[in-house]
Amino acid sequence: MSGGVDSAVAASILVEQGYNVEAIFMKNWDEKDKEFCTAAEDYKDALQVCDKLNIPLRSIDLIEEYWEKVFKIFLDECKAGRTPNPDILCNKEIKFKAFLEHAKELGADQIATGHYAMTSDKDGDFELKRGKDNNKDQSYFLCRLNQYQLSKSVFPIGELNKNLVREKAKKLGFMNYNKKDSTGICFIGERNFKNFLKKFFSIQPGEIVNKNGQAIGQHQGLMYYTYGQRQGLGIGGGYSSQEAPWYVSDKIIDENKLVVVQGQTNSDLYHTRLTASNVNWISGVPPQESQNITAKIRYRSNDTSCQINYRSNDILIDFEQPQFAIAPGQSIVFYDQNVCLGGGFIETRGN
Amino acid sequence: MIYFDHSATTPIHPEVSERMHEINQDHFANPSSVYKSGRKAKSLIEHARFQIAESIGAKSNQVCFCSGGTEANNQVLWTLVNQKDKHIIISAIEHPAISKVLERLKPFGVKASLVPVNRQGVLNTSILLDLIRDDTGLISIMLANNEIGVIQPIQKIIKQINKYNILFHTDAVQAIGKISVDVCDLGIDYMSLSAHKFYGPKGVGALFVKNRAEFDSFIVGGDQENGLRGGTENIAGIVGMGLAAELAVKNQEKCAMQLKSLEKHFLLKIRQSYPLVKHNTTNNIPGLISISFPGHKSDILMAKLDRANFAVSNGSACNTGNIKPSKVLKAIGLNDEINLSTLRISFGKDNTIEEVDELIKTLDNILN
Repeated sequence: MSGGVDSAVAASILVEQGYNVEAIFMKNWDEKDKEFCTAAEDYKDALQVCDKLNIPLRSIDLIEEYWEKVFKIFLDECKAGRTPNPDILCNKEIKFKAFLEHAKELGADQIATGHYAMTSDKDGDFELKRGKDNNKDQSYFLCRLNQYQLSKSVFPIGELNKNLVREKAKKLGFMNYNKKDSTGICFIGERNFKNFLKKFFSIQPGEIVNKNGQAIGQHQGLMYYTYGQRQGLGIGGGYSSQEAPWYVSDKIIDENKLVVVQGQTNSDLYHTRLTASNVNWISGVPPQESQNITAKIRYRSNDTSCQINYRSNDILIDFEQPQFAIAPGQSIVFYDQNVCLGGGFIETRGN
Repeated sequence: MIYFDHSATTPIHPEVSERMHEINQDHFANPSSVYKSGRKAKSLIEHARFQIAESIGAKSNQVCFCSGGTEANNQVLWTLVNQKDKHIIISAIEHPAISKVLERLKPFGVKASLVPVNRQGVLNTSILLDLIRDDTGLISIMLANNEIGVIQPIQKIIKQINKYNILFHTDAVQAIGKISVDVCDLGIDYMSLSAHKFYGPKGVGALFVKNRAEFDSFIVGGDQENGLRGGTENIAGIVGMGLAAELAVKNQEKCAMQLKSLEKHFLLKIRQSYPLVKHNTTNNIPGLISISFPGHKSDILMAKLDRANFAVSNGSACNTGNIKPSKVLKAIGLNDEINLSTLRISFGKDNTIEEVDELIKTLDNILN
């Protein structure tokens, strides 16, 4: 129970269905960090929801686990100029591991979360499916779960639309019915991500260069920028003859250089091929190379048809359509229709 | 629900509650007003002041009402800011309403020294004496601790430091109604009280000030409380506190005996049920038990007891939602694992042997 509307409504559905429900508020971040952490406010919202539902609210402190198993890796990835997704790691290591174990210790049979996703049980084989609400589907973030984790999890709002969830919350008298969705790293909330990162990294300025290697501006450290980024580069259009805006197309880590190109249709921003490592297949069995599957390379993009080729250490993925701003470090997540098959980390890209 | 968390707060005494209701209904006038109803309100407050004074062996004009123990502590500590001698000595197990205030006072030049406690939680007096400096202006040692219940030998300490002529404050929030408290016997200059710890209402407390001439207001405003505390008086709360103090002190001996017998009974039974238990206090206020269950995590124990409808604490109640090793338990030498396996069970005047047996039965199921 995060204090947000999704987990609140998830709990209410289980209560309606007659389950014996207890809520647990998870603390992953030291709340002394007042500037960025809203845990105290979130706790109050969770408490009000639990009061309405007449269920107990307990707390678990996973600050240390989160730091060790998620945040350190997040920082390392940032430092390496990659684009990590801490929420995927958080699900694998915290919500569906440390938290699950704690819930079991408390006597729980299963845990439920407010994810927009669904599961199905086919004779003991568990499938992860997209949430019904296309716009909110969060199966992407659950791509690293395994069979055991899925068998212990339920997603009560997976069949609902976000609008319906909010409506239900309002009807039930939850004060958080209109609370903003969390974005990015969940505990940072709506705050400025760059300012947050500045607490952990010194400024490491370097050159912003165009395709020909000409310096056209200064960046503050490669970790503050991501592939395909347009805003916040500090270079206006109009530097050259074209007036189109600039986009980050590449990072030259060794030289601390940020490569930018002009125009969203610039071919340097598009690739048809990538390699992925550490792929997790939710079923435990990798799909056939011949299987018709789709994949998405970031949460906020549609999945498109692709062809996978298994190699000794990684997987080669070829897309039918060129993909915009493939970012090493991000997760590529595979689907067969509505079933989420699993995901891996993007390593390299090419054509 | 069976309530075993009286050190967090107590249920309000029915007589007190009734009296407060009457006051709210019939005496709304501002006690600073000079007409009849205002005078009546004022006189009700003065009667409550008298009741508090009687309960602690003070004079009426030495009692200043405020919003609770935390404010009373703040009132005293903030006086350091305007003093020449800005050094203060406190124990290592003070409530955050002391230790955190001192962090806030650092930029004002206030410096604090901490006196360690032994494994029973008792302050090391010889270290305290060593810490006294020329600029020591205040010593603040709690009378009874909120987490482990240990009673500090305040009287003995004061006898040894008398010659230094240093002001002495004690946070007695946990002690009233549990042990006999007399400000003259103790020899203290300031004492903090909180009504809701002795079956009175929340949001009201008092500060004993021996020599008010040396004291200045902390909450600045009108001339209420003879200029010591601005703000229109919480009449019902103050009257409730006065009555609660009178009742608590009147019943103190009987209540203490009963609490001690519950405590003894619990300890005897729990040791039979789970011989590994570690009882963390001796010389504690009656009814407060700090007890560790090695091999079990306190948050899990708490959840399971909560499910069985028992109210107990781990650490102190102020830290709900934050599961960190307790500083107090650390100070008495508990390692983190034992620290995080500790519950605080605090009995109250209305608890019965049968209720304690229920708890034992439930704990037996959980632990074994």
